[in-house]
Amino acid sequence: MYPKLDESVLNCRSAAALLLLGCTPFALADGVVVDKVYDPYVQPLETEIEWRAVGMRDDEDDSLDSLQLHRLGLGRSLSDRWFGEVYLIGERNEDESFRLQGVELEAKWQLTEQGEYAADWGLLFELEKERDRDEWEAATTLLVAREWGRWVGTANLAAIYEWGDDIDNELESQLRMQTRYRLSEAFEPAVELYAGQDTLGIGPVARGLQRLSGARQFYWELGLILGVTDESPDQTLRLLVEYEFY
Amino acid sequence: MTDYRCRGVVRLLAVAALALLPPVAQAGRPVFEIEIRGHLFHPSELVVPANTKVKLIVYNRDPTPEEFESYELNREKIIMGGQRAIVFIGPLTQGEYPFFGEFNPKTAQGKIIAQ
Repeated sequence: MYPKLDESVLNCRSAAALLLLGCTPFALADGVVVDKVYDPYVQPLETEIEWRAVGMRDDEDDSLDSLQLHRLGLGRSLSDRWFGEVYLIGERNEDESFRLQGVELEAKWQLTEQGEYAADWGLLFELEKERDRDEWEAATTLLVAREWGRWVGTANLAAIYEWGDDIDNELESQLRMQTRYRLSEAFEPAVELYAGQDTLGIGPVARGLQRLSGARQFYWELGLILGVTDESPDQTLRLLVEYEFY
Repeated sequence: MTDYRCRGVVRLLAVAALALLPPVAQAGRPVFEIEIRGHLFHPSELVVPANTKVKLIVYNRDPTPEEFESYELNREKIIMGGQRAIVFIGPLTQGEYPFFGEFNPKTAQGKIIAQ
């Protein structure tokens, strides 16, 4: 039913990812690193409304202290392998009230069937444009997930390019990782790690799913990421709520 | 920690994340089939070998879509009407793993028995 990816193709992909890591200087996108760890899966017919928010505190950096970033997204699967989503991005901080900062388009591509290989693979493509400034950002992210019984490990490796008249053109990268224990559908504990030039953070996360009638469901994630380095925000609180329906 | 050291940690973690992934699984797994007819799974109970990854082909004979859903198996897969889908499950320890059809959860129910 689906085009199959043989072992040599997957090994080539792993090698390409390692090559990319070796060649790309790791640096933080000029935004917020703590966001969400993506799984590589797509379900056909699915539509979702999503709200993601992060709030930061930092005693040493006023630009980070009290910064909030919000994403409101509407997504729909385009096929059994592709999922597309559009986001409005808003920001507020101590000095400025909430304002619309930009828009983002996102497409997720599921590469392998869940459980078929030792790990499940996908790719995420993102394009973001600032509203009032000539700033663009494009990202390609490798998505990997693997099960160990009730444990699930997920990693996202992103290569990001920023350009425009109001920003220095640069190539950057990010790493996000999650280890999750499948305790129950309503509540799953996890630990997440986020890394980039100015951020290295780790912290506890919880997530859960509540099924509603008519194949609808409500999904949430809540986490607190603690900065490990001086440059990292001291604390980043992240929240995600999602309403899914068919 | 300096920025330089931070980048080193990031690169090390990233490479470790990929390097720790074992080689891909081998082909030639046991294959099982389930049909969806009249919003019911046939058979509703399926015995599979424990500790073995199996390939499950789910045929949806109904004209409407259905979702093969199981938290216990960590799988959800939508099968469009009149089509089929492949679900890889396991390796499972001995036990029973219920599944259901999310679009018809009251009727479409079944379980995988690993033994």
